[in-house]
Amino acid sequence: MLKLRLISGAAAAVFLAACATPAPPPEAAPEASLDAEAETPAALALDVSVYDGDFVDIQEFTTPGGVSVWLVSEPSIPIVSVQMAWRGGSVADPEGLEGLGQAVVYGMNEGAGDLDSLGFQTAMEDLNMSFGCSNGSEWTSCSATMLSDNAAASMALVASALTAPRYDPGPFERFVREQEVSLKTRETSAGYLAWRAQSQALYPDHPFAREVSAQSLAALTPELARAHKDALMTKDRLLVTAVGAISPEDLAPLIDAAIADLPETSDVPAATPVTLPEIAAAEPVVVPLPQPQSLVRFIGPAMDRSNPDFFPAFVLNYTFGGGGFESRLVKTLRVDKGLTYGISSSIDPDPNFNVWSGGGQTKNESAGEFITGIRDEMQKFIEGGVTEAELSDAKAYLIGSYPLGFDSNAKIAGNIMSVRQDELGIDYFDRRNALIDAVTLEDVNAAAAKYLAPDRFSFFVVGEPEGLSAE
Amino acid sequence: MKRILVAAGLLAFAAAGALAEPATETSAPSSFMLDNGLQVVVVPDHRAPVVTHMVWYKVGAVDEAPGKSGIAHLFEHVMFKETRNIGPEEFTSIVQRSGGQLNAFTSWDYTAYFERVHKDQLGKMMELEAERMVNLIINDDPEGPFISERDVVKEERRQRLDNNPAALLQEMVLTEFWKGHPYEITVIGLMDEVNALTPQDGLDFYREYYSPENAILVVAGDVTEEGVRALAEQHYGPLQPTGEAHDQRKWQPVAPLAETKLITHSDPKVRQPVWSRYYLGTSFNRDPERALALEVGLEVLGGGLTSRLYQTLVEEQKVAINVATFAWTTLHDEGPAVIYGTPVDGVSLEDLDAAVMAEIEKILAEGFTEDEVRRARNKLAATAIYQTDSQSAMANHYGANLALGFTLEEIASYPDEVRAVTPDEALAAVRAVFGADQNYITSHLLPAEGDL
Repeated sequence: MLKLRLISGAAAAVFLAACATPAPPPEAAPEASLDAEAETPAALALDVSVYDGDFVDIQEFTTPGGVSVWLVSEPSIPIVSVQMAWRGGSVADPEGLEGLGQAVVYGMNEGAGDLDSLGFQTAMEDLNMSFGCSNGSEWTSCSATMLSDNAAASMALVASALTAPRYDPGPFERFVREQEVSLKTRETSAGYLAWRAQSQALYPDHPFAREVSAQSLAALTPELARAHKDALMTKDRLLVTAVGAISPEDLAPLIDAAIADLPETSDVPAATPVTLPEIAAAEPVVVPLPQPQSLVRFIGPAMDRSNPDFFPAFVLNYTFGGGGFESRLVKTLRVDKGLTYGISSSIDPDPNFNVWSGGGQTKNESAGEFITGIRDEMQKFIEGGVTEAELSDAKAYLIGSYPLGFDSNAKIAGNIMSVRQDELGIDYFDRRNALIDAVTLEDVNAAAAKYLAPDRFSFFVVGEPEGLSAE
Repeated sequence: MKRILVAAGLLAFAAAGALAEPATETSAPSSFMLDNGLQVVVVPDHRAPVVTHMVWYKVGAVDEAPGKSGIAHLFEHVMFKETRNIGPEEFTSIVQRSGGQLNAFTSWDYTAYFERVHKDQLGKMMELEAERMVNLIINDDPEGPFISERDVVKEERRQRLDNNPAALLQEMVLTEFWKGHPYEITVIGLMDEVNALTPQDGLDFYREYYSPENAILVVAGDVTEEGVRALAEQHYGPLQPTGEAHDQRKWQPVAPLAETKLITHSDPKVRQPVWSRYYLGTSFNRDPERALALEVGLEVLGGGLTSRLYQTLVEEQKVAINVATFAWTTLHDEGPAVIYGTPVDGVSLEDLDAAVMAEIEKILAEGFTEDEVRRARNKLAATAIYQTDSQSAMANHYGANLALGFTLEEIASYPDEVRAVTPDEALAAVRAVFGADQNYITSHLLPAEGDL
């Protein structure tokens, strides 16, 4: 399935300047030419290996600058999206400087080179492009979406942000003001309160439990953000994927120009795995919040992808709580009992955070019944397992619906980046359905007995649940 | 939901290299009518072997009888329950077993049901939707599935509205804004009225509005018009109009606000005060030119980080955490044009109101520059190009606009129309809406007494 070919193409201009002359707007002028201002055209030769998959064809190549890129060409709509990701997220915030990674990404589209915040945002609007970065717990990511007509000028703007972000005082202070509002509003956010109760009860000393505080926010400075940006965004930890109406030859120089000035390497602490207790507390943790409903969340230990139980558990989760209208949690707690608008469960495949979790919301009066109902469903899986019909339905959906995840550039971009981040291999999409199909009833029922015991799950309730007392 | 429309015939990309697939000319959406009055719309997108199959009914919360608020939405839930040939709760089982995703949604103006499947399953989806279009069964057991679904909807109302002080305040404001108009009650309905709905109400609603001549079928994805026509003739063609359904919609023009009002809502869950003003705007159905000009004008005034209000109040004066303007222009009848903002600590909602309104007065006196209006137009037009990436967004977009009575030609002309809006037109639209002679509703979301 793997074909190799060598392309010698025309040179493409490399834009090093920070978009001093924004490309003309689409309505006023023709497209920005890729060959504009090329000084000495050098033939670009790329080794592109093509993975010809059932769902997507992925072109894999290394740019002259040494960046490994996965590209899915989609010529039928005039859009290009480029994703970059670096391993290392908020867990890399130094102690006492929680929120520093957030400050780094906030400033990435708030001014670069000669452009201040307003100038940068205006340049993006002139190009009809979007660019922004995010800081998750373990990854820092940037995403740029642009019209193929002016991809070169759009990527030049991205290059200026990666090369010379300004971290001006104005936008930085605005970031701090917005964070101060978040510190206040999170105190009455049910989702946040459930997360905080969970992290304090189960892994209080792990970096995943750390969060921005008034003190850490006060300690942040633009200088710290600039330095931390250099620690997070280095060449050695960079993954790049792209989808859209562009060829490898046109894309490669744009990527190289964007990352040319990134540091080669840095020292960023890696995340370590969270270990949840095998036996959870018997009583739910209750966090008071004055509202008509209680948010109920449950969480227990699971397994990572390398564990042979992973696919059986993944298939089992469809019947348990992952299958929407077809899950037993929905059939029992929503359809039969009318207790909730929605309840779901999922397995997090993150090797550092292997958890099986889920939940839903119900009126305060029925919070106790809701929790009992969830535990009863878990118990039924242990005692009776799933039926042949349930297993066959789960496989039919999981395999049959897989193409739905590949019908847009945005979904394809997300999928190929996930495969790179989780190191699943370029052929993963084509192997995945066979892995699901191979799961037997015996496998699923063994996974149910092993992982779904109600006493493995900690429960957290936010609201004013009746019959449950706050700690 | 912005009314962003898509130019037919997308740019073909001339790719370099043998790898690129030949650029396929995307065919423009097309429409035809079955003999029983069902309109069928095909939106081709050949990138993946996937289709989005939607049935839009020309009925929504606007059409509910007095005292029956929430029936349009509760009925939408009941459509998944049981039919003459599909057993209880089997509808979703069959779709998901076919590798399909499904859901439905209700607005004031329309109700839509959809499945997303591999293209090989399209015929089966049509069979299912055709079945529930005419053969729905509503179980009348007083403790049965209709009643537990009613409980589900009550939980949905708590989750969407009652848990959320900002949503409750907006509900109060919109009730005042649309007083005397069928939009005055929110789509999900009032709790007491929902709680009193019966299986008979569901059946009456079904008979009155559900029939092929009152529906629009939208199929987006890897299909051709001929292929869809053959399947639609086979599955929907045999359905007989009930003869009882009608499309006498209860739409009516929205009266100007009779007075200027302040509505305040305090709640212990509020940690950050929020200020808003609601003025009478317009809609694309009632006044397309004015709606278009208003969208462009509001983009310049408060559409984002580069907007006039944001730059002045957040960046220069630093009295606001954020400030923005937007308008509800995609309902059939006139909706509000809204200005809202969040003050920084130490600035009261009254102070923020004064600062924002002084700035608006100044901007509307000075006028807009050609440059900022061009950027706003381009932003709105480019959204139409970006939207083509999402098959479901395209299906939604065509379905909603057709259900509101627009034609394919009108939908396709949007990018050209938006690029034709002049600075004078954008300014005039904003001036008319926020004029000093206009009444408005101010809303204040505040922490509970003693919490500040």
